[in-house]
Amino acid sequence: MLIIVIKSLIIGALGGLAVSAGAARMFHAPEVQAMGAFRTMGELNACKGDPIAHFTFGLGFFFNAAGSIVGSGALTQDVLHRIIPNWSAGVLLLKNKKVEETLYHPGSMAVVGAFVGAITVAALNSVASLIPANLSAIAQGILGPASAVMIETIMPIIFILAAIDAGKTTGVWGIVLGGISHVIMGNATPGAVLGIIIGQSIQDNGYNKSVKIMITIVVVLFALIGYFREFWANLLSIVTAAF
Amino acid sequence: MKKLNNLLLKNSTFPILVALLCSAIFAGGHMFVKYGFGFFNEIAQAEMVRQGIQTGDFAAPVGFAAGFIIARVLEGPLVGILDIGGSLMTGVGTGFVSLFLASGLGFVVDNFLLSLLAGVGIGLVIGIIIIAVKKAMPSGMAASGTNIMMGAGNATGRYLGPLIILSAAKYSIPAGIGAIIGAAIFFKMKKEIVGGVIIGAMIFAVLFPVTVGG
Repeated sequence: MLIIVIKSLIIGALGGLAVSAGAARMFHAPEVQAMGAFRTMGELNACKGDPIAHFTFGLGFFFNAAGSIVGSGALTQDVLHRIIPNWSAGVLLLKNKKVEETLYHPGSMAVVGAFVGAITVAALNSVASLIPANLSAIAQGILGPASAVMIETIMPIIFILAAIDAGKTTGVWGIVLGGISHVIMGNATPGAVLGIIIGQSIQDNGYNKSVKIMITIVVVLFALIGYFREFWANLLSIVTAAF
Repeated sequence: MKKLNNLLLKNSTFPILVALLCSAIFAGGHMFVKYGFGFFNEIAQAEMVRQGIQTGDFAAPVGFAAGFIIARVLEGPLVGILDIGGSLMTGVGTGFVSLFLASGLGFVVDNFLLSLLAGVGIGLVIGIIIIAVKKAMPSGMAASGTNIMMGAGNATGRYLGPLIILSAAKYSIPAGIGAIIGAAIFFKMKKEIVGGVIIGAMIFAVLFPVTVGG
């Protein structure tokens, strides 16, 4: 238990520092390279200046994260996207309501973020570690089959449909790369994702140099994965057996 | 504090911040593999890695993450904000952790200190690539595909709640009823139903134990 808390404090401090500084940098983008997410920036703006708004917004996602980590061990993306940036901003705003002197300052956000992150991650991981084993066995019994269907069927379908809905070129790339990726690696999602990126770039800019580089990378990637998963050997044996 | 602010607003310090965040995220993978919790991502990605550990086949998480990391690292310097969900939480936390486990480097993930260091290394490289791309700024690789991917990603999230209701109903009658009640309450309270589904199913499954899979 103690070792889990110590590790969680270290992880949370590192992540909290970096993600809070990254969030502050968002207000200086695009000149300054930031990290976070557009929705994080929008949400920070939405409760701008009001510490209570930042705290309650984060708290809602904290309960979600607690439920998720008890059930599946996943902290959810909200810990880094929403909880830590909003709580760090809230702490800073308690002292000074001017966002230009608090939320927009990566230095202050980094320092506060390290503490907020350490406490948040340690609290969530401690909750998870206190859950008795039979409870997590039940969670696994329920979540396991659901996520298997999710990964093997629903996600590939959604990503291929998204490609189809995005136009002819993207649709064709999504279907073809998605299909090939299901044949080679047993899951269409990665291929459909790559198909969407390539198809959209072609639709927007035509077959320029960066698209060609991208296609080359994808072909090499698929060829290599096929080799390691013995796809080519299997294909060869099927073809030779046919003749 | 003013000095720290100015320092942290420089583009040259960006790779350091990415390195620290990757270090935390990769070590989150260590926690997940070693203790079963602490993974900096959604339930679906955690289950992908868990399935990989059980079957030894990590193609799904590695392939899935590869698409996101490529897209986000290209997009990041163009728009000025690196999306840490796709690039780092999925790309590094799911993808690189799975890659290490799949390619015989599992001892790095098993060791807390090594996993922190591996994250620093990977993060530094990603950060430097992004700043380099930002400096070179090639035109042409549009970021428009990421909107579609985001939409699809959010759509998959919507499916999880109903899917777990079905799964809980199959697991046992009490779990199913609990899942339904939890989902209804959370929906009424305008919260994501997944949380209510899991909590409801768990409470009822514990209160009314049923021998499963007999």
